Amino acid sequence: MDLLDRYLQAVKKHLPWKRQDDIIAELRANLEAQLEDKETGLGRPLSMGEAEDWLRQIGPPRQVAARYQPQQYLIGPVLFPSYLFVLRIVCFWTMIAYTIGSVALLATGTVSESRVLEAILRAPGFLLTVAAWVTLGFAVVEFAATRRPEKFPTLAGSLSNWTPSTLPPLEKEAIRGKKPRSFASAVAEVIFGFLFLVWLLLIPHYPFLLMGPGALYLPYSPFQFAPVWVPVFWWVVALNVTQLVWRCVDLIRGAWRQQRRAERIVISAFGLIPLGMLLAVPDHAYFTLKNVTDQARYGAALDSINLSIKWSALVICAITVLQLLWSIWRISLDCYRKRAAAM
Amino acid sequence: MGYSMTIADNLFENLRLELRRGCLTLAALAQLRQEHYGYTLRKALAEHGLEIDESTLYPLLRRLEAQGLLTSEWREEEKRNKRFYRLSSDGEQIFAELLEEWQAINTSINSILQ
Repeated sequence: MDLLDRYLQAVKKHLPWKRQDDIIAELRANLEAQLEDKETGLGRPLSMGEAEDWLRQIGPPRQVAARYQPQQYLIGPVLFPSYLFVLRIVCFWTMIAYTIGSVALLATGTVSESRVLEAILRAPGFLLTVAAWVTLGFAVVEFAATRRPEKFPTLAGSLSNWTPSTLPPLEKEAIRGKKPRSFASAVAEVIFGFLFLVWLLLIPHYPFLLMGPGALYLPYSPFQFAPVWVPVFWWVVALNVTQLVWRCVDLIRGAWRQQRRAERIVISAFGLIPLGMLLAVPDHAYFTLKNVTDQARYGAALDSINLSIKWSALVICAITVLQLLWSIWRISLDCYRKRAAAM
Repeated sequence: MGYSMTIADNLFENLRLELRRGCLTLAALAQLRQEHYGYTLRKALAEHGLEIDESTLYPLLRRLEAQGLLTSEWREEEKRNKRFYRLSSDGEQIFAELLEEWQAINTSINSILQ
């Protein structure tokens, strides 16, 4: 039957060459016997349509041939959990390195919209390249381990060699019944922290990012920023960089589930420095007049603005001190409880 | 509605295939206590109500042979060369263990359902 020959020829093309003749001979014997049965039942040869229906029911040649192949994986189930773990860690490290590198470049060079945009747009491609290399590495190991299992005896045994005693202790939040911070939210915090930092660094060059349309009014405003804002701004930047680096280190250490009391204390304590700078400004002159001659016209408005900034700084300072004291008290309490439990 | 039906159908089909996979191997091993070539094995299983696609059964026989559970030989029958399979001695032992396992599962499921 011409159609069956053509079908078997098509199947053969997708079979491994070492075994294809043997497989095709067997398949031919089986299919010819089946065809014979069908034709005996009908009392006549199959029509073209019937033969087509029969072969269609057996399946497309490529699919039939594929069934004779061993199950193929790019990365098999034994390696896959390790692959996912490594991929996650490597992508994360890459993102951190890229973020720190980009921020450093932006901070040292001229910050411009196009440079920031370029840095953001380059990130996905960079991550994909790294992910592709990790995948390729694991695919090579999988390929080698499948073909030479005797060379990779630890690979097969790696999943069965664990012992329950090596499991990490229960985390504090789990003991207290609190839901620990997830990896995704920890990563999101880092990403948003980075975006916030970029936004912060862009403000001096693009005031509209902070003031919106009001920035258009700035050149015509009779007021100007006092010099104290420059060190205050860089302190705020430094605080955000510290927080970002801290969170990155937590992620790298795998400590993102833990509470961030120490981080809160350090950030609150250092946060008091720019607030102190603001409060120490003589006569609370946060803004000054561009022209001293405008004193009579805008003096009252200027005093009012400066006074409101002074009070805002005072309130924020008070809240920060309270937060700081609260965090210190909680840590002291925990230490006391621990000591009491140990006694 | 149609979309969720398709998902349900797919899910059922996947679970059905998963359920059948092990059973088909067991059935093929059981039937191969007697010698068969591919097509007669398929017919014999179908007579017992177990229809298996050609593209599933024939490669399965190859795999079971590669795993040492079956032995095979080419022989001429009715003027046609055919590959005949039967259980190997290892296959007989593993089949007995699998059968025991399957019966235990069957008993457990029946007990759960009662």
